[in-house]
Amino acid sequence: MIRRLWLTVAMGMMSLALAGCADRVEVERLAHVVVLGLDYEEGNFINVTFQIANPQVGSTDRGQAEKEPPTDIVSIKSTDVVTARELANTIIPRQLDFSHLQTLIISESMARSPVFHKTVSSLVRIPEIRREMSMIICREEAATFIKKNKPRMETRPHKYYEYMLDQWAIRAVVPDSNLNGYLKNLAGELYLVIYATTERLEDEIFENEALYRAGEVPAEETDPVQMMGSAVLKEGRMIGTMNGQETRYAMLLRHEEKVHSVISSFPDPLKETERVTVRLLKTESAKLKIDVSEEVPRIEAKVKLYGQLLSTEGMENYVTNLDHQELLEQTIEDVMTRETMDFIRRTQEEFRSEPFNWHNQVRKKFWTWNDYIRYDFIGKYPRAEVKVVYEVEIENFGKQFEPVTVNDKHAE
Amino acid sequence: MAFRSWNYLRSRAGLSSAQSESDPMRAFIDGQLTDDMLMNIQTLANLFDYPDNDSLKIRHIHIRALQVDAAVLYVEGAADGQAVERTIIRPCLENDQQLDAHQPAERINIIKQQLLPSLAVKESETYQELNDALLHGNTVLIIPQSSRAIIIETPGFEYRTVEMPQVEQVLRGPKEAFIESTDVNRSLIRKHIKDHNLRCEKITFGKRKQNTALMLYMRNIADDQTIQRVKKRIEQVESDAVTNLFLLEQSIEERPYSLLPSILLTERPDRAAAFLQEGHVVVLMDNSPVALIAPITFWALFHAAEDQYQRWVVANFMRLIRLFAMLVTMLIPGVYVAITTFHVEMLPTDLMLAISAARERVPFPIVVEIIFMELTFEMIRESGVRVPAPIGTTIGIVGALVLGQAAVDANLVSPILVIIVAITGLASYIIPDITLNFAIRVQRFMFILFGYMFGFFGLALYMSFVIAYLVSYKSFGVPFMSPLAPRLPASRDMFTRSAFRQQWLRPSNLSPKEKFKQHKPEGN
Repeated sequence: MIRRLWLTVAMGMMSLALAGCADRVEVERLAHVVVLGLDYEEGNFINVTFQIANPQVGSTDRGQAEKEPPTDIVSIKSTDVVTARELANTIIPRQLDFSHLQTLIISESMARSPVFHKTVSSLVRIPEIRREMSMIICREEAATFIKKNKPRMETRPHKYYEYMLDQWAIRAVVPDSNLNGYLKNLAGELYLVIYATTERLEDEIFENEALYRAGEVPAEETDPVQMMGSAVLKEGRMIGTMNGQETRYAMLLRHEEKVHSVISSFPDPLKETERVTVRLLKTESAKLKIDVSEEVPRIEAKVKLYGQLLSTEGMENYVTNLDHQELLEQTIEDVMTRETMDFIRRTQEEFRSEPFNWHNQVRKKFWTWNDYIRYDFIGKYPRAEVKVVYEVEIENFGKQFEPVTVNDKHAE
Repeated sequence: MAFRSWNYLRSRAGLSSAQSESDPMRAFIDGQLTDDMLMNIQTLANLFDYPDNDSLKIRHIHIRALQVDAAVLYVEGAADGQAVERTIIRPCLENDQQLDAHQPAERINIIKQQLLPSLAVKESETYQELNDALLHGNTVLIIPQSSRAIIIETPGFEYRTVEMPQVEQVLRGPKEAFIESTDVNRSLIRKHIKDHNLRCEKITFGKRKQNTALMLYMRNIADDQTIQRVKKRIEQVESDAVTNLFLLEQSIEERPYSLLPSILLTERPDRAAAFLQEGHVVVLMDNSPVALIAPITFWALFHAAEDQYQRWVVANFMRLIRLFAMLVTMLIPGVYVAITTFHVEMLPTDLMLAISAARERVPFPIVVEIIFMELTFEMIRESGVRVPAPIGTTIGIVGALVLGQAAVDANLVSPILVIIVAITGLASYIIPDITLNFAIRVQRFMFILFGYMFGFFGLALYMSFVIAYLVSYKSFGVPFMSPLAPRLPASRDMFTRSAFRQQWLRPSNLSPKEKFKQHKPEGN
């Protein structure tokens, strides 16, 4: 009994020695990179920026180091991310670790360069890299963007992106883009990536709030970063940008994507100068009818939207007057259809591909992969006949029944 | 055995006092009574080393009714003196009706039938029986010319009154606990099972067959093979030192080195009764404020007495909490070590930063830190049990203040670790059975070790080992995890339980003779 016990223990010990505990690292000995920035440098080089979280600032009262900055930002010129990390460890005493890296920032110049795809796609080879890491394309250099992004209410940098992610998911003026999505959409279709900047561009002010791009939103004295619209990627390269509204239509027309809350203003059908603000919810999938039997694909997309009336500047009564309601719904449908058709035309003529993930639906129409490839849907898309039908149903009018007008004795 | 002469006996007695270790009284004990009263008395006196040894009392009386002299023998401290006086001496001395009897056998019958008001009276003709009777607190009445003596039950061992359970406490349910007397314990069980099928067998064991245990089972339910197994195992116990159930448990279990117990000790008569009715065997012994249950399954250890007394929702909620607590106790420290050394990516970034910030000033690796804290906790627990009650309060203060706060302030451990150890400690006390509780607390250290060596892979590896062990373990032939694994027909009463009236089926892993507790209920 005792001999057997010793034998078992000894064998256990031996197996431990063989296994070796190789990748064991205590958590405090790691430098956690939370944001990674990529810039294009001349001659096949890239500039890699690591933003490293300092655990001793803003995480716990105990072990607080007040004089240290919340993050450390290091930029290294190298040929790829892994060697840059090795070089960074000649400066940073702790081992750089990507396991909490959840944000990837790429400069526009990098995204438009030929090194973009090979750099980003080789990232996934690193074991700690998360495929769900958010991808953001910024107008300026990524290093500048990371340095300038100091949100006033967040001490720790990852927190800013974590909260921002919630906004992306429901507002739809930026796409929800991540590394995995990019890697899945490389076959000619458009992939939309969050577009952001810390720069301020003087541009015109729009009545329709979604027409801005990042940097154009008229705001003063705020956090430096704006995120609006999207960068358009095709076949591993950036080819253009879309404003917030176009991004939003791209989301609405996607079959599977649910858009929780689109707050948008439309011209008041009863008063030309005023606007009506409506929240639109896409709670059902867009219904697609795709006909690929002929040379030119025919696509009919039907989108059901539920609306909430949020504000009427024109002080018109939409709550109790059913005719007015119908008129409003009709107006919204018309405006949206018109704008969507313009947008689709732009994708057909300028980008010559579609951002709606329609190819996924088209694939189902074919028995074999080869049939699908032979049909070449993306190639035929610029000539496709697309019809978009919106069905808007306003079902909520807010807390106020009738508009409160001046000098109305019966108003509450 | 043949009768031995008086001189021979005396010489043996003289010889034996010199070598007291080698069972000197064997020869006396094996003999039979003679018709010489004095010699019978003398033999017994020798057995007890009378009068040097102040334990055997011999009282000579005159039985008036029969006009004969007799001797009353009892052991001081074992027999109840007042009972001897009241039920034996007084009736013999005071009864003045004249009864005519000349034959010894006749006299014995008259004494038994007409004189003694005692409940339990029997005859015996061997010294062995008289010796046992005296030691069990009975009184022996020896009359002249008779090779038979009368044994009257007058046990007078001291025991406390029935009290509340100390370990298995309940909010709802009966609040009586076993005490150190077999008779009282048996009566407590009887109170729950008023059924003629409850059978009570006396088993004697030990080298001199001086130890007795009572084995109880339901004749119409319990499986014969199981009964025989338990009985055989008890009879095989050779040591005389097994004087209570705690020692008996260790003497009859199959795997004494196992962390898991194969026998349950409960201090609750209602639980013992419930086990009886499911086909288990209950063993009672003097000096043991518990009942021994065999065979058992994991569920016997996992369930608390209260589970059946609470309503369905409450009971199941408690059980799920208990299951959760069990996993927490066993795994949390190991998981913490595994995550912080191998799988940092699993933590939310904020938590990771907080742990990392606190760890920065701690000089030891995580595994040292956690083993230090866990051992400290075990020390607090153990000292809490050993410490005399009046100074017990200091333990709490030392434990909570000094070790928790001060260790963190001194940068010996990180604050999150204090939480981990505290949760682990708290959760470990939710497990009702003390042996299972201990097994799990010990496993915790193995999980820490494996988590530190191999991360989650190690935890999974060790967990597979634990589960493999659990399902291959057996208690008196009953698979430990049955009726879950192997899955056998039974009322579902495992991690959760079904409604009380739905529990109509006895667990078939115990092979009960009657498979149903009641008719299958209709509807819900």
